Amino acid sequence: MSDREHMAGDSDVPEGQIELSEEYRERLLLAQRTDAEINAAVLRPMMETGPKFWITVAILSAIILWGLYAWGYMIYWGMGTAGINNPVYWGLFIATFVFWVGISHAGTMISAVLRIFKADWRRPITRGAEAMTAFALLMAGLYPFIHLGRVWKFYWMLPYPNNRFMWPNFQSPLMWDMVAIFTYLIGSSLYLYLALIPDMAMARDHSVGWRYKLYRTLALGWRGTEGEWHKLHRALNIFSVIIIPVFLSVHSIVAWDFAITLQPRWHSTIFAPYFIMGAVYSGLAALATILVIVRKSMRLEEFLRREHFDALGKLVMVAGLGWIYFWFAGFIVEWYGNDPVTRELIHDEVAGKLAPLFWLQMTANILPVIFLAFRKIRTNPKWLLGFTLLINVGMYTERVLIVVGNMQRNYLPFDWGTYKPTWVEISIVAMTFAGFILLYILFSRIVPYVPVWEIKEGRLRYSLRRIGRLWVPTAAEID
Amino acid sequence: MGKEISRRTFLKVAAGAATASGLIPQVRRIALEPFVRPPEEELPGRATWFASTCRQCPAGCGIIVRVINGRARKIEGNPNHPLNHGKLCARGQAGLQVLYNPDRLHNAVRQSGGRGSRIFSPIPWSEALDELTAALQSLRDPQALAVLAGQPSDHLYTILASFLEVVGAPPAVIFDLHTALDGRAECASLSSRWFGEHQLPIYDLAHAQVVFSFGANLLETWMSPVAQSVAYGQMRQSRLGGRGVFVQFEPRLSATGASADEWIPVPPGTEGIIALALGRIIVEENLGRAGKHSDHAHLYRNVSVADAAQACGLPVEELRRLAHLFAETDRPLAIPGGQLTGHTNSKQAMDAVMALNVIMRRLGRHGGVFTPQPVPAERFASPAPTSNLTEILDLVERMRSGDIEIFLIHGANPIYELPAWVGFKEALEEVPLVISFSPFVDETAVQADLILPDHTYLEGWGYQVVSPGADRPIISGQQPVTQPLHDTRSTADILLSLASRLGGAVARALPWEDEAGFLEESSAQLHDNSISTYDARTPAGFWSLWRQHGGWWSKRAIKREPEAVGMPKGAMAVPAAAFQGDKGTYPFHLMPYSSLTLSDGRGANQPWLQEAPDPMTTARWNTWIEINPESARSLAIKDNDMVRVTSAYGSLQAAVVVYPGIRPDTVAIPTGQGHSDYGRFATTRGANVMDLLTPSPAEQGNKFAFCATRVRIEKVGQVKPLARLEDLDGEGRESIR
Amino acid sequence: MAKAVRVSAKEKQDENRRRWGMVIDLDRCTGCQACVVACHAENNVPVVGEQEAARSHSMHWIRIERYWEGEYPNVKARFMPVLCQHCGEAPCEPVCPVFATYHTPEGLNAQVYNRCIGTRYCGSACPYKVRVFNWFRPDFPEPLEQQLNPDVSVRQRGIIEKCSFCVQRIRRVELDADASGREVEDGEVQPACVQSCPPSALIFGDLNDPESEASQLARSRRAFRLLDFLGTDPAVIYLKGGETNV
Repeated sequence: MSDREHMAGDSDVPEGQIELSEEYRERLLLAQRTDAEINAAVLRPMMETGPKFWITVAILSAIILWGLYAWGYMIYWGMGTAGINNPVYWGLFIATFVFWVGISHAGTMISAVLRIFKADWRRPITRGAEAMTAFALLMAGLYPFIHLGRVWKFYWMLPYPNNRFMWPNFQSPLMWDMVAIFTYLIGSSLYLYLALIPDMAMARDHSVGWRYKLYRTLALGWRGTEGEWHKLHRALNIFSVIIIPVFLSVHSIVAWDFAITLQPRWHSTIFAPYFIMGAVYSGLAALATILVIVRKSMRLEEFLRREHFDALGKLVMVAGLGWIYFWFAGFIVEWYGNDPVTRELIHDEVAGKLAPLFWLQMTANILPVIFLAFRKIRTNPKWLLGFTLLINVGMYTERVLIVVGNMQRNYLPFDWGTYKPTWVEISIVAMTFAGFILLYILFSRIVPYVPVWEIKEGRLRYSLRRIGRLWVPTAAEID
Repeated sequence: MGKEISRRTFLKVAAGAATASGLIPQVRRIALEPFVRPPEEELPGRATWFASTCRQCPAGCGIIVRVINGRARKIEGNPNHPLNHGKLCARGQAGLQVLYNPDRLHNAVRQSGGRGSRIFSPIPWSEALDELTAALQSLRDPQALAVLAGQPSDHLYTILASFLEVVGAPPAVIFDLHTALDGRAECASLSSRWFGEHQLPIYDLAHAQVVFSFGANLLETWMSPVAQSVAYGQMRQSRLGGRGVFVQFEPRLSATGASADEWIPVPPGTEGIIALALGRIIVEENLGRAGKHSDHAHLYRNVSVADAAQACGLPVEELRRLAHLFAETDRPLAIPGGQLTGHTNSKQAMDAVMALNVIMRRLGRHGGVFTPQPVPAERFASPAPTSNLTEILDLVERMRSGDIEIFLIHGANPIYELPAWVGFKEALEEVPLVISFSPFVDETAVQADLILPDHTYLEGWGYQVVSPGADRPIISGQQPVTQPLHDTRSTADILLSLASRLGGAVARALPWEDEAGFLEESSAQLHDNSISTYDARTPAGFWSLWRQHGGWWSKRAIKREPEAVGMPKGAMAVPAAAFQGDKGTYPFHLMPYSSLTLSDGRGANQPWLQEAPDPMTTARWNTWIEINPESARSLAIKDNDMVRVTSAYGSLQAAVVVYPGIRPDTVAIPTGQGHSDYGRFATTRGANVMDLLTPSPAEQGNKFAFCATRVRIEKVGQVKPLARLEDLDGEGRESIR
Repeated sequence: MAKAVRVSAKEKQDENRRRWGMVIDLDRCTGCQACVVACHAENNVPVVGEQEAARSHSMHWIRIERYWEGEYPNVKARFMPVLCQHCGEAPCEPVCPVFATYHTPEGLNAQVYNRCIGTRYCGSACPYKVRVFNWFRPDFPEPLEQQLNPDVSVRQRGIIEKCSFCVQRIRRVELDADASGREVEDGEVQPACVQSCPPSALIFGDLNDPESEASQLARSRRAFRLLDFLGTDPAVIYLKGGETNV
């Protein structure tokens, strides 16, 4: 990497000679940096951890420990310590599970889809997005365990020869779920790791002590030869293609967990694409949220620029429009269908007990779509932060409404129910949020948050070239 | 070849030689002794069934108990028993939780910290008996011995009655709330007034075509609910000649009313007025095919249908429709009881209802009214009567004035069950020695000096002459199905030991060694009886068949046609019921009703019964008050709001159930909760509706007018979510399809 | 040849195969809760107490639903016992990841407690909401544990349980009949609720035997099945109340 030349001179860009757009100017910032400066800019926030960082870690760890206590309490005393009941057998646990699976979708979306379509602006944010996928999936993967009545027997779901002479039931969507989530977790972790190898080598070359040992191990002896680069690119391309169907299947299956039952409003063909769209929407929004925070806290302003927020904001908006479309397509059909149970459910949601949640959901999911249409708002980190946070509040509410709201009503009004989460559920849900954040910030302190090699690669794209006496801004295709 | 000795041959020879020489070891055969020796009838792991009698209410249903490894595991109805035909109600099923109740007393105890202290110290039975004997011997006047018993098993009643008679004490007062709410005393008095019978009449529900029930919740707790439910099932579907019609007259829709085809929400206390009006219409219009009604016309001389219609808030047309419905069928039947007996006019009201059966000539007819054939043996001829309120008030008065020195209490819990105004607890404090025979520390036992716990009914002996009976004379036999769990002792046995200790005439009058001996001798009275369903060559064999069958009954159905000898001669009139409390201050009638599961509160210590939902409200584990939706709206109260219910006598708090099936001027509270003692499952929940009841007016003093109280309701401001099975958002709909 | 014989024997067996079912005559049901308590007693169903009952954690395998119709004074209340419908096409069966719930050859929807890991998916899939979950450890304060039926296992916390049509009673009768070399007679098998029901609203029997009382009643014109439109093929047949069969 370091041996690569870059086109623009270090200091001889003729300021003021030509009219450059603000955006292009920002793009050129990196072009003016040396490799060493880029390396340092990425590595510095990794290595330097101030008291704020440790305070955050302490608070998060406390929340996690409390959540673990709540989980242990629930395992010891029984699931009844949570607010789930008959008929609301699934509560916040499953809603949060769906939420985390949804969050996990943006990483792949950004990284793989954009890689395939050669969207160049992806470069600085791919790693952050992939890490989000992996950690959100880890958190999602906790919930099937949390939610099991006899978690100590979880391995009975695994297909292995056993003394019960039983295979698991592959008819059950829970088995599909398990397989899909594990595949996705493994796939996305490998994908994250592959792209990490050159940067591990870079970090190895710039660190001492335990970090050196760690990076040396993780770098797998990467030297940066042409052959290695070739193989890496090929592997990444293959992964990008393969992981997309996996990512589609995961949330489809999560949707089918609900849709294959006879429960009105769950039992719907639109559920799978609706879930996927919602997942992409909430995942992209979460990614934007994270990027704004990381950019500020790790001082990565040079790497994460307005163009990224602009593009991301556009994607969020498009995903939001898609979500609204699917929501409406499902809703209008059910509403006109006027099936009595569905009618009750819709009434309860729109005007009944669940109305505050429903209108919160609608506001939080639709309002940002409108505002993100404006470039000024998209490119303003504060506004973006606010709206993407709002979207995730909305999407979380949506999961709760789908899972809990629909289970409170069924065919026999005598057996309807009301669900109220207890401290146990709230603690455990908080534990996974804290766990996600903790994993993420630890990750960002151990691994170069910005994929340095991709940046350097992408840096080639924009430059000022001297043609005759004129400095001409250029843009190139990179393959 | 020379002779070879093979190995086998050698061994044979050697063995023979050893035997011959006597060298083989001489082992004695000794049976192996296991550490635990099971009872002979027990096969490990195999179920044995024992027939006995349910004592959860006074109905006397036959039960069979599944016993495995010496432990009772399941109670079912005795399929051969002619009363309940193998069926059993919720309370009957829960009997195991009486036996295995964790709050039972394990032995005789003295309340060493003084009455009410709840500090008990165990005492040996011999000491308890010595003390009781000494107390009886030092009694200066036998009249100072008083006994209160709550519907005892008939064998205990017989022994107790002879004991009291021979020592010269007044007869036992028999009272419990369950039968009081049934109006058992009233029904018995109706029977003796009209038919000259002290036994309760039998209503042939199974074969009636039109049943009018005036206040009797005959599918829940009234009299013999299982037998009546069996008959109800037959009336509905399993007979030729069509489905019977069932009309219930009551201010609050009970579960029985819910099963009826029609519920007529009559104002409290007007049931009799309606019955009179119906009779008047029938006689006047000469309805039905039962012949001319002219000979009964005089009964209705003073009845004005229009006035009655006004009193009960029903249009005259509606009364006429009901009269036609009742009369224009071959087999109508009118049943009085339950809440109707809780009014001040109950005597006249019951007369009015029974008169309907007479004018339709339903006495002794298929689907009509019968009187039971008595059991053909002298020992079983006089089952336990039910005392009326006068006798109880009299007892309380004697206690209060210090006339009672020894007070024995068995099978009843008057401090909980009697209305607070009776002042039983205060009166009991005046008695120097109070002895309870309760297996549980209930509210009354807490006020006793000694508690000498009786066996529970699954551990003890007994019999019960079934009353009201079925279609034949029945004695339900009770026998231990398991060894007593704890060091308890049968109260009948205690009385017998007391008798032998006292000696003299008492010992001669009660010569039996124990209650089983008494039972065996009693059963022998029916030996060689021609109507018996089984017979044996010897009395001993007869007794074993008795135990095997779970009692005695006749082969064939024998019912008697009652003669209405004592029927009112002149014109009948039902006065307006009187209520306690001013209508302005206390706008609501209070209907206390017997809980289907907990009955009068005796079921409150059985978790199965606490957990079984009330059929109408589906509420569990607590007390509630039922209010008409309209009244609730006007008071701005909703489901689960806590309200304070106040009568002229007392007040309590309960959660609201907005109940579509109750008159707007009436509220209803079930009995059963609000225990201060009675074990972990019963205490600290709900309130006791008996605390609200207001004393009846003086002229009706002998009457337990439990429906005659008016109350007012105020919102407390708290919300108490009742443990209802039903989801309130469902609004009681069956299906939203 | 041998194969053909075996196949025909199997077919014959299929023809003769029982389908256990229950007929519930709503015209007889009085809502008296005898079945509810009988079921608790027979099947060791735990009691959860007031607090948990108020949180919809109660565990009745059979419940009596009470419906209101109309308004005062023309109000009517009706009862309907609801228990596991032992659906022929049970929505709960395919969703269990560990085969804890499956269909027996005799038409029972069986719950294998030992296999259950507590995903509660079956409970969510069941449209009748008759599957109950062990939210807590069952509690039987001494000596109440002596009431437990030794034929039925006591369930652990964290698993689903539900009405089994008293399979232990079915087995006992079948074994006894086998041992004495005879067929199981109609009416010989009586689940605890059927046994106790005072007005005989519940009738149990083999729906594949056209002579059984249950299948005769199931052909009544009063017959309907709960949520039949869902296509679950329930083995519980209700008879409408308020009119006569005869």
